[in-house]
Amino acid sequence: MKLKYILFLVLVPIIVSCSKNWLEPNPLSFYTPSNVYVDQAGFEAGLTTCKKEMNAENHGDLCFIVGENCYSDLAVELRESDWNKLTPSSSPRQAILKLFTNGYGYIKNANTIITRIDDITWDDQSVRNRILSEALWFRAYWYYRLVNTYGDIPWVGEELKEAKLDYFSTKREVILAKLQQDLEYAQEWLPVKAANLGGVTKGANSHLLTKIYLALGHFDQAITSASAVINGPYALMTSRFGVDASNSYHNLMWDLHRWQNKNASENTETIYATVDRPDAAPGTWFNNVGTASMRNYGPSYWKVMDATGNRATNWDTAAGDSLGIGNGDVRTNWFFRYGLWQDEQYQWDETPDMRRAKTNWIEMGEMTSDIITVREGSPNFGQPLTKKYYKNLADTTDTWFSWPYYKVYVPTPNYAQPWGGQGDWYIFRLAETYLLRAEAYFWKGELGLAADDINKVRARANAPLITAAEVTLDYIFDERARELFTEEPRHTEMVRASFIYAKLGKGGYSVETISENNWYYDKVMRDNKFFSAPKYTFWDNTATVHPYNMLWPIPQNVITANTLGRINQNIGYEGAQLNEPPLDVIP
Amino acid sequence: MKLSIFMLLILITAVYGEGKAQKVSLSLKKADIETVFNAISKQTNYRFLYSDDVITRVGAIDITVNNRELKEILNHIAKHRNLRYKIIEHTVTVNVVGNRNMVTANGSQPDVMVTGKVTTQNGEPLSGASVFIKGGKGTTTNAQGEFYLEVPSLQSTITISYIGYVTQNVDINGQKQVIAKLENNDAALEEVVVVGYGTQKRKDLTGSITRVSGDVFEHHAASQLNEMLAGTVAGFNANQGATAAGGTSMEIRGKTSLGASTEPLIVLDGAIFGGSLRDINAFDIESIDILKDASSAAVYGAKAASGVVIVTTKKGKVAKPTITLSSKIGRAESNNQRRGLNANEYIAFREDFLRQVNPSVDYQFYTNPNELPENFSLDQWRNLSANPLDDNVQEWMARLGLFDIEKNNYLAGRTMDMYDHVFQKALRQQYDLGISGGTSAIKYYWSLGYDNNEGIRVGDQYASVRSRVNLDFKITDWLNVGMNTQFSDRNEGAVPASMDFYVNSPYGQLFDDEGNLERYPHGHSNTPLLDYYRRSVTDKKYNVFSSLYAELHFPFGIKLRTSFQPYYHESKYLTFTTISKKLGGLDSETPSGERGESSRMNWQLDNILSWNKKIKDHEFDITLLVNAEKNNFWSTSMKNKDFSPNQELGAHGLQFGSSPEIVNDDQVSTGDALMARINYNYLGRYLLTASVRRDGYSAFGLEHPRAVFPALAFGWVVSDEKFFKVDFIDRMKIRTSWGANGNRDIGIYAALARTGSNLWYNGSTTEVGVYTSSLQNSGLRWEKTTAINLGLDLIMFNNKIDLTADVYQMNTTDLLMDRTLPRVTGFTSITSNLGEIENRGIELTLNSRNINRTNFRWNSSLVFSLNRNKIKELFGDVGTYTLLGKEFNGEVPDFTNKWFPGQAIDVVWNYNVTGVWQLDEAAEAAKYSMQPGDFKSEDVNADGKYVDVEDKQFIGYTVPRYRLGLRNDFNFLKNFTASVFIRADLGHIGSYVDALNIGYQSNDRWNRNVGPVPYWTADKPNNEYARLNVNTGAYGGGLSIYKPRSFVRIQDLSLAYRVPVGIVENWKLKNLEFFASVRNLATFTKWPGWDPESGMTPMPRIYTFGFNLSL
Repeated sequence: MKLKYILFLVLVPIIVSCSKNWLEPNPLSFYTPSNVYVDQAGFEAGLTTCKKEMNAENHGDLCFIVGENCYSDLAVELRESDWNKLTPSSSPRQAILKLFTNGYGYIKNANTIITRIDDITWDDQSVRNRILSEALWFRAYWYYRLVNTYGDIPWVGEELKEAKLDYFSTKREVILAKLQQDLEYAQEWLPVKAANLGGVTKGANSHLLTKIYLALGHFDQAITSASAVINGPYALMTSRFGVDASNSYHNLMWDLHRWQNKNASENTETIYATVDRPDAAPGTWFNNVGTASMRNYGPSYWKVMDATGNRATNWDTAAGDSLGIGNGDVRTNWFFRYGLWQDEQYQWDETPDMRRAKTNWIEMGEMTSDIITVREGSPNFGQPLTKKYYKNLADTTDTWFSWPYYKVYVPTPNYAQPWGGQGDWYIFRLAETYLLRAEAYFWKGELGLAADDINKVRARANAPLITAAEVTLDYIFDERARELFTEEPRHTEMVRASFIYAKLGKGGYSVETISENNWYYDKVMRDNKFFSAPKYTFWDNTATVHPYNMLWPIPQNVITANTLGRINQNIGYEGAQLNEPPLDVIP
Repeated sequence: MKLSIFMLLILITAVYGEGKAQKVSLSLKKADIETVFNAISKQTNYRFLYSDDVITRVGAIDITVNNRELKEILNHIAKHRNLRYKIIEHTVTVNVVGNRNMVTANGSQPDVMVTGKVTTQNGEPLSGASVFIKGGKGTTTNAQGEFYLEVPSLQSTITISYIGYVTQNVDINGQKQVIAKLENNDAALEEVVVVGYGTQKRKDLTGSITRVSGDVFEHHAASQLNEMLAGTVAGFNANQGATAAGGTSMEIRGKTSLGASTEPLIVLDGAIFGGSLRDINAFDIESIDILKDASSAAVYGAKAASGVVIVTTKKGKVAKPTITLSSKIGRAESNNQRRGLNANEYIAFREDFLRQVNPSVDYQFYTNPNELPENFSLDQWRNLSANPLDDNVQEWMARLGLFDIEKNNYLAGRTMDMYDHVFQKALRQQYDLGISGGTSAIKYYWSLGYDNNEGIRVGDQYASVRSRVNLDFKITDWLNVGMNTQFSDRNEGAVPASMDFYVNSPYGQLFDDEGNLERYPHGHSNTPLLDYYRRSVTDKKYNVFSSLYAELHFPFGIKLRTSFQPYYHESKYLTFTTISKKLGGLDSETPSGERGESSRMNWQLDNILSWNKKIKDHEFDITLLVNAEKNNFWSTSMKNKDFSPNQELGAHGLQFGSSPEIVNDDQVSTGDALMARINYNYLGRYLLTASVRRDGYSAFGLEHPRAVFPALAFGWVVSDEKFFKVDFIDRMKIRTSWGANGNRDIGIYAALARTGSNLWYNGSTTEVGVYTSSLQNSGLRWEKTTAINLGLDLIMFNNKIDLTADVYQMNTTDLLMDRTLPRVTGFTSITSNLGEIENRGIELTLNSRNINRTNFRWNSSLVFSLNRNKIKELFGDVGTYTLLGKEFNGEVPDFTNKWFPGQAIDVVWNYNVTGVWQLDEAAEAAKYSMQPGDFKSEDVNADGKYVDVEDKQFIGYTVPRYRLGLRNDFNFLKNFTASVFIRADLGHIGSYVDALNIGYQSNDRWNRNVGPVPYWTADKPNNEYARLNVNTGAYGGGLSIYKPRSFVRIQDLSLAYRVPVGIVENWKLKNLEFFASVRNLATFTKWPGWDPESGMTPMPRIYTFGFNLSL
């Protein structure tokens, strides 16, 4: 019987003994903000994410830059060309809604660094300021893209610490002014040359600042800022270089657009380029596919038939690896392929312009193409693909168009299908800086200086030079198309220019009526016959655009989730009737 | 008038023995007669039987006697207090004189003595059974089951009752000798129910608890516990699993959370069980108790808001060893053959689709040249191509864009149906062996089970070995130690054929001429068997769950039970994709492998102190608990690809690859609890349960680590009251309970901000990037459900019918949920405590013994439940908003998650689709940027636009509105039993995505990717299914198509034959039984998908044959 009481005495203490810290949460395998942003390394790691995210512009199926071209004067989105069918809640394929939601995700990551920058004591204030400046630049980059895509949007300038559902839209110009202020601060602290690739430099800052000055109508400051880049450690490439330098079949323009050359030290033209390498560990890639550049920009030539009604050259035949498995997503128009390259002097196939050189494009002409039938057993073996065997010419929409091969060819060592693999890509390049300064001169009416800058770019490409009389905004943007296709956010830049036009009150445009009448729409209708004179209904879509489509719709689910505030919808889209006046200060 | 059961108990327990006249000494002042009788009983071996009015009649007595004869004392009392008494054997029956006189006055004859015997069905005498005449006089049976009773007339009716047996009324009909055989009452009140940290007799329950006995399911094919219960218990909602492994989610009463899990807590042999239900072998289950109301569950506090399922396994009994063997073999097939388009339909679809997406092309362009209409010549047809091929069929096939393989097979007349390669007739096997027995010192139970199931899809398989050892040692009369341990080894490595088989053309082929697997069976789109052939998966799970206990018995009925419950889990997941041409590999593909290993070590420590005491009419049962728990989890996963020199080592040699990746995910959480409970009853008639529990959990450790959960419940056995005089009701109890419970089922680190990380190569080195991936919420706390329950238990018509009815209301506050944030925050949601949900419901269980003859017995059981939930409050964001086209001022809904204050969680907010725009409505459709063949919906405000907040309506619910289950058991020809279980879930609708005909569902390169879903064409219009490549962009906020999902199904049908005992004994067996059953025999529904229960997953129909044998 005694044992029983002894047991009782042993067990009761077990019952009661519990340590004080018993219920403290103890994360084991992940970091929390409080143990990451404790030293310089933590903040640099935050910047690493920002650098990697820049790849979103040009990596992946239907990536952002693809969307920029699809809704411009140069092309249509193959399957979603009818704006009547694209609503604030429905755009399953395109970047139209994705840019907004993802863009704010990138802004959030920059905001974390900006908000926490003074949580620690910095031994060296210049390191603090440089890190802060880089974060401000990444934030400004995405805000610049968003305000010139969606107009007035909410300003989020701090790291979020708790739930917040009462956002209001802020005026586009107010946000731009804030960006200007941030980047002017950053200009002082950023290095001339980054310690590693992906780092932000004074040059990248000045280039972005140039765009912001332009957008705000500060043309003189834009010229100063652009000149700072042009007079800096940059120069247009004028001689062959890089991986294929010794291959005489190619020319300088080919060299400029090989992914291996974009961040090469000998390339003096690069101001900022993303980094993504096929030979690095898969975990470092932005995605598994890669750039998907051949997918996005090439036609589905592999569907073209031979005389037997079978595919003449499928993508999984030998040629497919280098041509890629195009999907025709960016369905370029006649203007881009031909109109842009001919003038009073030359036809498109005669122009000395290296950017339209035969070696740089795959031609799919009126009846025949550069691509040869390679299907064994085909009666057309060895002959070029031909339109002759098409059963239905509407099918040429996705299968038959020439494309600038030199811009999109990226080998695909890591992906089963040749879509276009991992590779570096330009964000800012000196050629654009010249065109930005030309634009500033244009707005100021100094057309001679504008022509000079444009000619710098043209001369390097061996294109005929132009005179001051030929400089128009259309011309500047045509030059941008020739030089910067697949690189520039074309729609964003066109919106920026449209706002300048409206703000200056030139060309019959005004800010008040911009949703009904704008330069973007007019240029699209002038040059993009898909919209102004649709020939085929393809994929159930007849390409349609309205002036108000210049600004893309704010995703409806963002508006509805913001239950305690009002994020404005752009005029023309459903829901805009509920708009409230946007804020004219940074909240 | 009847005697209370309470008194009967006293009589039964009174000591009696043999002897002559007995001497008694008493000294009592102002004692009631009961005390006097009790005192006499203690000194003699006589028992007293009397009714309540004896006590009232007698009042208080002063009595002092020394060593007097019993009879002398009794005579004295009887004389002075106007009583009569009679001694038969050792029972003293006492009656009030007045009563007897009344009976005599009404009756016509003097008293007659009747003798009789009460036995069980097997003839065993029942001692202590009550025998009454209606009107109050009565006696009890002696040790031999015999009784003597004076009856007023030989036409009287006597009532014989015994706890645990069905009460019998016997008409004497002139006989002087009565033989009564009492029938065992299955739903006996004495049944012990597990209530959490203890047990209680069913009759004393105050909460809503349903018990299911394990043997109810022994003939069924269900492999997992929750499947067995699907539909059978009112308020318990589970669905059948559709895979070889089986098992899906379950829910008790209703959805009480928007973000946290609402799976009930599983308690296994008294221990909170954190493992998988798949580890519990149904063969081992003795019973399942489902705790539904808050008060019953409240002893589990923080984990019990979603109810508790208590599983009790079989234990050894004091008996010779019994060996039981059970074997089941079955066949399974899909209960619905949903095949893709056949060859002709495929061609028609290709034509229709291409016409639809290329409207600028002549309609006849895609028509088969052999099927041209009369007014359209072949030349006209040929001229539609600029350069037609010589062969018309070739030309036509080229226009349709058929692939080479398709063309060859078309010309050769070869077709295939991928369905036949994806589905199979599956074999299911289940074998179980159990041994149990015991002595007074050791009781043991051991079992071993093996399951091996194929799924109805090729490549789906599941196997498990499960074993259980239950031991109990009685060391001394005050110490028991023992353990309940289960082990399982599960093999879940299945690579089922893909459900995306509809994409393949009937003109494809599975293998090429060289016997290689065709990667693209018709020239495009992967074969659904790609993974089945080339991917190997090992998915092993090993579990040990044990409850080790010691039980100490102290004086005064105090008991201390200490138990330690470790749970070990080890899992290994190895997968490897072999790349070779033989297996459909492409040159550009590289082999890849992944290996994940994880282990879990959780433990719980329970110390339970309980005290059971009865003081006169007051009975107490007090339980105190102290608990602590810790849960550890470690996980490592490795990936690699591109192996050199070759891929032969598979997942066993991942180090030979070129791109290794490692991920670790370790977790730890801790908790503790204190609980106190009292069960009290007075006279067995008034019942009370009160409990309080305080819980702690590290997931809420930032600010609110602890919370308190109280509960209170009352029960009242109305039928025991004197005033209760309803003849047909044998017993009636009213229960009411109130209590609060918690839900902690969120990620254990949900309160913390998390920093995600990524890798990036900067051209020279690899950098690690960080970003905030979730927001911190340090105020996160328990979700709390407060519930009231009102219950009624009725036993009627001499135990023929019993009815249990419950109504409840549950209010859940501080809902754990992922609150949607506008994406401008950079986040999609934050885990928060907000809002309130209300659940109300009704549950009915009606058991009836319809026919009860020797050769035919028929019992049925009907369950019915309904639950209605409502979001009472969401985030507390008040403002103006538009909904249903009206302006509202109040709490703003969450449109993203479709949560609306005042509406049910599962309410469907969508356009009310009225049909499809027809050709003559083209102009109308165009207003909406649509065309004939697109979906037409009600435009509520008729403004020519479909705007969600204006035109979407509440069109139904996705959760069944009513659930019914009807089970009928038949026993016939002595040795046969049959049962049929019919189940119905009614009144709900489900989203039918396939009806939308959008995007991926159709393409010019493949078959109709949704299988047999009709579509609209101008030639063959319909008003339910839209055209191919439909445009739904005009529907603001998106459009979904809903279809009714109600169903009635014959879920289980079984027939069993027990070989007669006489024959079996010759074979030296105790028992032998053969049975056959069918699961999901027939389903009646309008749901167009695979199955109304599983939605778009094929549901198996299972035929099982088996036997049970014991020796």
